[in-house]
Amino acid sequence: MSDHAMEGTHAAAHAHAAEEHHPQAGTYIVVAIILTALTGAEIGVFYASFLQPFLVPLLIVLAILKFILVAQYYMHLHFDSRVFSVLFVFPLWLAVLICVSLLMLFDYLSYHPG
Amino acid sequence: MAAQPKALPLEQASYLEGGGIYGWLTTIDHKRVAVLYGVTAIMLMILGGTEAMLVRTQLMRPDNHFLTAQQYNQFFTMHGLTMIFLVIMPLETGFFGNFLLPLHIGARDVAFPRLNALSYWVFLLGALTLNFGWLWGGLPNDGWFGYANLTSTQYSPGLNIDFYDLGLLILGVSSVMSSLNFFVTIINMRAPGMSFMRMPMFIWSLLVTTILVLLAFPALTVGLIFLFMDRYFGTNYYNVIAGATPILWQHLFWIFGHPEVYIMILPAFGLISEILPVFSYKALFGYPMMAYSMILIAFLSYGVWGHHMFATGMGPVADAAFSITSMLIAIPTGIKIFSWIATIWGGRLRFTTAYLFAIAFVLQFTIGGLSGVMHASPPIDLEQTDSYIIVAHFHYVLGLGALFAILGGIYYYWPKVTGRMLNEKLGKWHFWLSVVSFNATFFPMHFLGELGMPRRIYTYAPHMGWDFWNFEETIAAYVIAVSFVIFFINIFLSLTGGERAGNDPWDARTLEWSIPSPPPVYNFATIPTVASRDAFWVMKYGSVEASGLEGAPAVNAPAFVDISKIHIPAPSLYPVLIALGLFGMAVGVIINWYRMVMIGALLMVMCILAMAFEYPNWGEENPHAVGESFLGLDSRKVGIWSFIGSECVFFASLISTYMVYKARSLGPYDAQILNIPLTSFSTFILLMSSLLMVLALAGFQRNDKFWGTFWLLGTALFGCIFLGGQVYEFGSFWLKEGMVFNTNLFSQCFYTLVGFHGFHVFIGVVWLITMAIAGLLGKIDMKRSLAVELAGLYWHFVDIVWVVIFTLIYLMRTIKHA
Repeated sequence: MSDHAMEGTHAAAHAHAAEEHHPQAGTYIVVAIILTALTGAEIGVFYASFLQPFLVPLLIVLAILKFILVAQYYMHLHFDSRVFSVLFVFPLWLAVLICVSLLMLFDYLSYHPG
Repeated sequence: MAAQPKALPLEQASYLEGGGIYGWLTTIDHKRVAVLYGVTAIMLMILGGTEAMLVRTQLMRPDNHFLTAQQYNQFFTMHGLTMIFLVIMPLETGFFGNFLLPLHIGARDVAFPRLNALSYWVFLLGALTLNFGWLWGGLPNDGWFGYANLTSTQYSPGLNIDFYDLGLLILGVSSVMSSLNFFVTIINMRAPGMSFMRMPMFIWSLLVTTILVLLAFPALTVGLIFLFMDRYFGTNYYNVIAGATPILWQHLFWIFGHPEVYIMILPAFGLISEILPVFSYKALFGYPMMAYSMILIAFLSYGVWGHHMFATGMGPVADAAFSITSMLIAIPTGIKIFSWIATIWGGRLRFTTAYLFAIAFVLQFTIGGLSGVMHASPPIDLEQTDSYIIVAHFHYVLGLGALFAILGGIYYYWPKVTGRMLNEKLGKWHFWLSVVSFNATFFPMHFLGELGMPRRIYTYAPHMGWDFWNFEETIAAYVIAVSFVIFFINIFLSLTGGERAGNDPWDARTLEWSIPSPPPVYNFATIPTVASRDAFWVMKYGSVEASGLEGAPAVNAPAFVDISKIHIPAPSLYPVLIALGLFGMAVGVIINWYRMVMIGALLMVMCILAMAFEYPNWGEENPHAVGESFLGLDSRKVGIWSFIGSECVFFASLISTYMVYKARSLGPYDAQILNIPLTSFSTFILLMSSLLMVLALAGFQRNDKFWGTFWLLGTALFGCIFLGGQVYEFGSFWLKEGMVFNTNLFSQCFYTLVGFHGFHVFIGVVWLITMAIAGLLGKIDMKRSLAVELAGLYWHFVDIVWVVIFTLIYLMRTIKHA
């Protein structure tokens, strides 16, 4: 059997395996409904004047929930090899670290401009 | 009837033979790509060395006028840029990395051979862009780190900085493509049995380096994009008068810049770790700790960028934090140095030229490392910063460090690359002249720094106490040039009539020495199975710890191979054409010839699309099938996830800048401008597009081509609606509110961040439509559904970036940030 033919066999096997492990349409639709509800909640929080003192933490929690849902279900991190999770989470963690560091460094500069 | 297998003697299948010029232009063989990198980088090293000689000649005497101040600025800047981006990096990763990676891990090629060729051609044309000023407009002239606001149009009105900006952007694209390719290759294409703890140490260094490149270059890219916008669109990212701060450039540059130091030195560590055991007849001491140290160095290197900025006044807490992390790096580095010494200790030493360079590296790098630890202390750094001590420090680390490792590597691997030996006698002349002259040039710079001589001054008054050492350093620098002349003579003599090298002239330890020199196109007749570290040594002598005195090496390479069963990807002209398109775009922008920009862009896009459909077995280019990969994963999927990881840092840099500058901006403010109802609708549309995307994938995975294609087109349509909303939003800001790109800090950051996200959506829409066309043509079925999954992963990533942008930029619009 040639390499190409073998590739085809392997690819088919892979596709079949993927089909077994990835969720079906019903799950995707449920996730979409939850994402819509969370987005609605974000907008509600934004406009509800009594929630303004908690605006930042509430919005961050809601955004994180949406982020996790898309990454876990639509990007299949929940179902795929852990290797992909590592490839995503480590840079994400570094990106957050860079954001927080820069905000803190410039926060200091804004109080000590000299 | 099956085709008759065609047998080809190994000796006739050298990768160097055949093809002519067209063969080299279209090659995607990792070994040929390595040679292209090597030859280009050596040529550029001669250029960079010449620039250094001109700089040293100018400094030879006080009040010298050999060069003008402007010429001096251009030459020292180009020397730094050339040696860093066009010599050390391409030699270490482009040449050694490309040549050795598949050979070290027992693979036929890298994961994405055409992307590999594209990386080289983009590198070459990036180098030409950086050097375009030789012909027109002047070379970059603000130092290799191009500090703002010297780079503004006010202080640099010429084209010099434009070549710097676009040249580095293009080189960054090349580095990221190359690193992504290498990372996937190492993760996924190792030979059976080659676990992480059995990989050669050079591969460890390459793995860590690729991670550094993927996660460090995006910050530089963002900084360079801001610079481009300041110079071409009148924004004020680095303009103090507009409320911005040039410190932003320093942060973005050094978030990249310090990992860059390790990007240059870690492969050098890897090369040394290959050379020392072979010529000491001992296994590498402390292998696991050497590997862990490499990881720790990379990890810490992201937290030390501030030590380049102590003089900017970051505050005591930041100074202390950056000082501690910088000093901590000495620990894993020290582990490596002691491990190398322990490797040498008690060995049967063979003082070949390669070995001498490796030993000199250990000694000289330690000297440079020690002065580095000094600079990690803020009070000492404030005394020494921008003096010649800094010049001495980084030349010890990179010149007497990385460059010596490269030279050692060239002497060691030359027989494998060319099939011929270098002359050892000439090599030793080269080595001893180099050691003496390099040290005589750079060690006295410590004295000059202590005597108060600042770096980058183009001349100095007599009687400052600097005359003697400057004169001595210049003479020593000329001797460096002489030592390189000997090196080039040696290369010439070897290529024209050097002694033939056998498979294993050094009695070496790793897999590449088990195959002919130079290797055949397909590398290994059969993919080896690895049972331990130092796989070839164990094949020869039975164990890693064997002394090599046990008996004659076994020769187990088969004499013939059935080449019809080996899948080698076909050559391609598209990488050259894509790179030419990119080059045309860059030069067109710089010289304001927008027709050239359009032609370049068109050429690039057309060739990318053509390359995507180049092979009849569309989407199955990878020479390793899924089932053969080390982790059982498809390399393309590992690749797209690695790319997404790199994009995280890109968007983090954009978002951080937005949040920092939002608080500094004058009106109109975000709370007065942003349209929440419209954006909420756009957000809903983008989220729903992700639903359609997964439905499309599910369709193809169950071989339902109609619904798969239908949902793909639906996803693209939703993407278009999202983009339409963005165009409407931008248009209304412009027409109703009068907020243009450079109205204030908020507007420029908003348009840049949201605009770049929109650009990603646009790319995604083009990708999806391409997929849909492929679906309509029947090119996507169940077994090729992975192609849809890759597009989907990119699409969902764009979606979650928007989740962050919607929250931080739109819904938190009333919150004041730093």
